[in-house]
Amino acid sequence: MTNRHLLAGAALAAATALTSPAFAQSVLRLDEVAVGELDPAKASDYADSILMFNVYDTLVLPKQGEPGHDPHLAESWEVDGATYTFTLRDDVSFQSGNPLRAEDVVYSLERMQTLGQGLSHLFGGVTAEAVDERTVRFELEEPYAPFVASLIRLPIVDKALVEENATEDDPWGEAFLSGTGAGTGAYTVTSHNPQDETVMAVNDGYFLDINEAAPDEVRLRYSLEAATVRTLLAQGEHDIASQWLPPEVIRALAEDGAQLFTESGTGAFYIKMNTARAPLDDVNCRQALAHAFDYDTALRMVAITDEVSSGSASTGAIPVGMFGANPAEEVLTRDLDAAREYLADCPTPPEDWNLEISWIAEVPLEERFALLMQANFAELGISSTIETLPWALFTERVASPENTPHISQIFVNAVTGDPDTLLYGMYHSSTPGTWQSPEYLDDADVDAALEAGRRGPGEAEREAAYSDLNDRLMELAPTIYGYDRQSVFAASNRVNAPALSDPDMAFGVDGMGFSFRLMEMTE
Amino acid sequence: MTRALRIIASNPMSLAGLLLVLLIVAAAIFAPWVAPFPTHNTAVIDFAYANQGPSARNWMGTDLVGRDIFSRILYAYRISLGLGIVVLIIAAPVGTVVGLLAGYLGGWTESVLMRLVDVFLSIPPLVLAIAVLGVLEPTLTNAMIAVTVMWWPWYARLVYSIARSEREEGYVLAAEVIGAPTAHIAFREVLPNCLPAIITKMTLDMGFVIIIASSLSFLGLGVQPPTPDLGSMVAEGARYLPDSWWMTVFPGLAILLAVFGFNLLGDGLREVLGVDE
Repeated sequence: MTNRHLLAGAALAAATALTSPAFAQSVLRLDEVAVGELDPAKASDYADSILMFNVYDTLVLPKQGEPGHDPHLAESWEVDGATYTFTLRDDVSFQSGNPLRAEDVVYSLERMQTLGQGLSHLFGGVTAEAVDERTVRFELEEPYAPFVASLIRLPIVDKALVEENATEDDPWGEAFLSGTGAGTGAYTVTSHNPQDETVMAVNDGYFLDINEAAPDEVRLRYSLEAATVRTLLAQGEHDIASQWLPPEVIRALAEDGAQLFTESGTGAFYIKMNTARAPLDDVNCRQALAHAFDYDTALRMVAITDEVSSGSASTGAIPVGMFGANPAEEVLTRDLDAAREYLADCPTPPEDWNLEISWIAEVPLEERFALLMQANFAELGISSTIETLPWALFTERVASPENTPHISQIFVNAVTGDPDTLLYGMYHSSTPGTWQSPEYLDDADVDAALEAGRRGPGEAEREAAYSDLNDRLMELAPTIYGYDRQSVFAASNRVNAPALSDPDMAFGVDGMGFSFRLMEMTE
Repeated sequence: MTRALRIIASNPMSLAGLLLVLLIVAAAIFAPWVAPFPTHNTAVIDFAYANQGPSARNWMGTDLVGRDIFSRILYAYRISLGLGIVVLIIAAPVGTVVGLLAGYLGGWTESVLMRLVDVFLSIPPLVLAIAVLGVLEPTLTNAMIAVTVMWWPWYARLVYSIARSEREEGYVLAAEVIGAPTAHIAFREVLPNCLPAIITKMTLDMGFVIIIASSLSFLGLGVQPPTPDLGSMVAEGARYLPDSWWMTVFPGLAILLAVFGFNLLGDGLREVLGVDE
């Protein structure tokens, strides 16, 4: 070897040494459906929740693998009737460097209530007061049994930073928070395009120890085609696919060696009927559809492997395992004779129905349910058309009853793990016309049961209230209760996610399994 | 007629085109009798056979709800050919009349009509169709309207250029000298000389109309489920690539065969009818 070669070799070695830290950067790549809403006060769907749980923190966290909550940003709390007093940790600072104070908690609550979007309905009638720098006291106007559970949807924002960036026209800094993170979370936002991609980097100043193997960078991409995700994963260019992949694709990926993550978010697949529009404004017409739906086939459609399925049999309006659920063996089944009897009492003759069956364009599985329903209902002589709606258009259409399709297909989960957050937003007459409530249901008994359920205070009262609610909802049939569901994600073997694979580590809350700080990259 | 057949038969490509077109037309007409699963053109579901590859039972496999893809392709040809025929039967005469009047009359008629044609031609055809379907509802009829709206200007342009050169010909001048009415000259004298070009273009266009209609339903704007359509079958299957390739590949091949067949036949006809490029 000549000197020159040696020199080149040395230069190469030096270059490698210099660049090697960049190689050590572990990157986690995943996808979800657009839009990724970064403003935590507006977060409602799955993509938003992933962003929120990583960029922001909450006062409490659900216990892993068991019911109940652990303190998180809080050190401890006390309950006295409808008064909850939280003591904050003293070692937490925001990503900006500002220390966490009680006034940040108060500000976060007020901001959410004033904007009135996302899951702000959880905090109606709640007032907060900063007793001192580390103590915050919540007063509830009326008793709300699942209040502590709902706090996992109250992300704490950096008051000082948001106020610095607020303007006269935008007093709550909405423009600022829609593109920037202002939390204490384990991940900071590097770049954010709500239609395309959010890039996050691990926050070295996080108040808890973060696993060494947790990803240094996370790339969350939006609305990738199923075939694209399939190819990227097979080529090792992607790590966790969204739960919205069709079961066939998840199955094919599993056969290729992908691992399957699951998350049970205590939710269900609901086929929602617009009760404000003929012919579905009549209960008999709705019951006819609910009895004509082929529940068995629906379940077969969502099976992925022999062990893993996205669904288990539905027993009613409330998923098995929650307050008020019917026993697991009382499964709903198809009953065409009953359907015909109901149809005979339906004022609109079946040939005049012209039912609009919609499905969400980003969830190809729903197209099959649309076809299943079309075939099921055609057996009763009901005419129908199938309509594809992109999610963004759907959420816009449901804002008025006349634009809301007759039939919408929605996956809903209890956002806090508590049945109140599953059912109140769907069925209370005060919350019509959101993506969760395209039924436009308005029923005094339902309202009363929902209110009793959240009032509590004890588990027995809640169980009774939700049981009544379930019965009433079966009578009214605003919804075809498709199946109880869990989310299934195909993932590369580069990543371990105990919260998504080990039931003892699971949070029981949708999206929280995607706390990146608890994941491990193996390469 | 025999001369025409001889010319076509003498060119193997044209002959292949003719045979392909005949085969596709026959398949479309006789779909209810030929299709192994004649009920699969509707909202039938059979999950026992869902998502299966090509086999003796289902030559081209099944889709996600268990419908036979081969049967659905035969039915989809009905839609595609029907749409193509309706579109061309409306677009060609409309375009021809406009082109003829502009080309023969000249003057301000020519200016007005041809500028209108230019306006239509300046908008990309697919964009125009999407706009039309955006205003109307996406149904088969509206898809036909949308495609027709974008198609007639091409005939106007073609007939216009022929009519313009024909108007200087001796036989036209002779007819004018003996005082024949304008309508007579335009439709009886000039039009017959445009027909070979129109018929050739219609044959060639059949393929393109099928492509455009398929593109529209690929985008979800054309024929709506459960009616089978080649474009929407490709779109639906594309999500399941590469594992369930048969859902995309066979409908895609079906489009290719139809377009290919009509193009070859169109080239053959051009030769038979002596149309210049």
